[in-house]
Amino acid sequence: MKIKVTTLYVDDQEKALRFYTDVLGFAKKADFSQGPYRWLTVASPEEPDGVELQLALNNNPAARTYQQALFQQNQPAIMFFTDNIKSDHERIKALGAEFTMPPTDVTASTIAMLKDTCGNLVQLTQLKRW
Amino acid sequence: MTDREQYAPGPANVARIQKDGEKWTLVLVRELRHSPEKVWEAITDPAHLREWAPFDADGSLATAGATVKLTTVGAPVPHATETTVTRAEAPKLLEYKWGAFDTRWELEAFAGGTRLTLWANIGRRFISMGAAGWHICFDVLDRLLNGTPIGRMVGPDAAKFGGWQRLNAEYAKQFGIEAPNWPSQDGSRVVSQGGSKNNV
Repeated sequence: MKIKVTTLYVDDQEKALRFYTDVLGFAKKADFSQGPYRWLTVASPEEPDGVELQLALNNNPAARTYQQALFQQNQPAIMFFTDNIKSDHERIKALGAEFTMPPTDVTASTIAMLKDTCGNLVQLTQLKRW
Repeated sequence: MTDREQYAPGPANVARIQKDGEKWTLVLVRELRHSPEKVWEAITDPAHLREWAPFDADGSLATAGATVKLTTVGAPVPHATETTVTRAEAPKLLEYKWGAFDTRWELEAFAGGTRLTLWANIGRRFISMGAAGWHICFDVLDRLLNGTPIGRMVGPDAAKFGGWQRLNAEYAKQFGIEAPNWPSQDGSRVVSQGGSKNNV
């Protein structure tokens, strides 16, 4: 067994695809549909065969409730690791994304938080070297 | 060989696209040798739908206002959407949404049979897949009505099957779009780089 996919609920898959590729810089990996169902994933260009992020439509009440509750409680729905949070923060901000927390020192890491325009908070994390 | 094994879809001439600017609607027309009443039953009754349609319904679609759960058969994760039938005028007109897609059926008495037309506003990106899938579903429906059922062919049953791949490619060519990505036979997926700008 492998950990291959993690799922993120979004309120609009087309908008999510644009944000996660054009703004965050991931690459579209899988995209197919069956009837109204659409399987859509992105992957990091640094790790094209790494874990895929599935952008799943939050079209069921449980998903919507979960997504909204996390957002209201300021909890990230997903976390990405970076080797340079400062430059990623500048780059992503310049592309128009709204950060709710600039790069901030915390225990063992530096974190930042931004809105993904699709109902989620995304955390960027850079681990500190000891 | 069974009828199911022998089945091969005909040329890609059942579906066309109706364009309203950027909004594309898939239109499929099929002439069936059975009465509108019989065809109406086949497109509204859950037991009939289970024999040919790409979804299962947990109730009849034959009444306006009815709320019905439609489960996509063979989706990569369990997938169901609830719909309300917006129009049901037996045996002529049926309208509801399948997920976000407006789905409209018209039945027209025609030379002792029925001319069945389906309009589905599925997104442009996957419209050739929808055309190929419904094309095969209509063939299966035709055989079901004729009393020689070959069994439902949807989801993985359709996709692994060469006829579906050919129809998808032929319809994509006719519609002037790129055939959508599909998982290849070894289970890996086609990677396409870049955003969605080119083929939305």
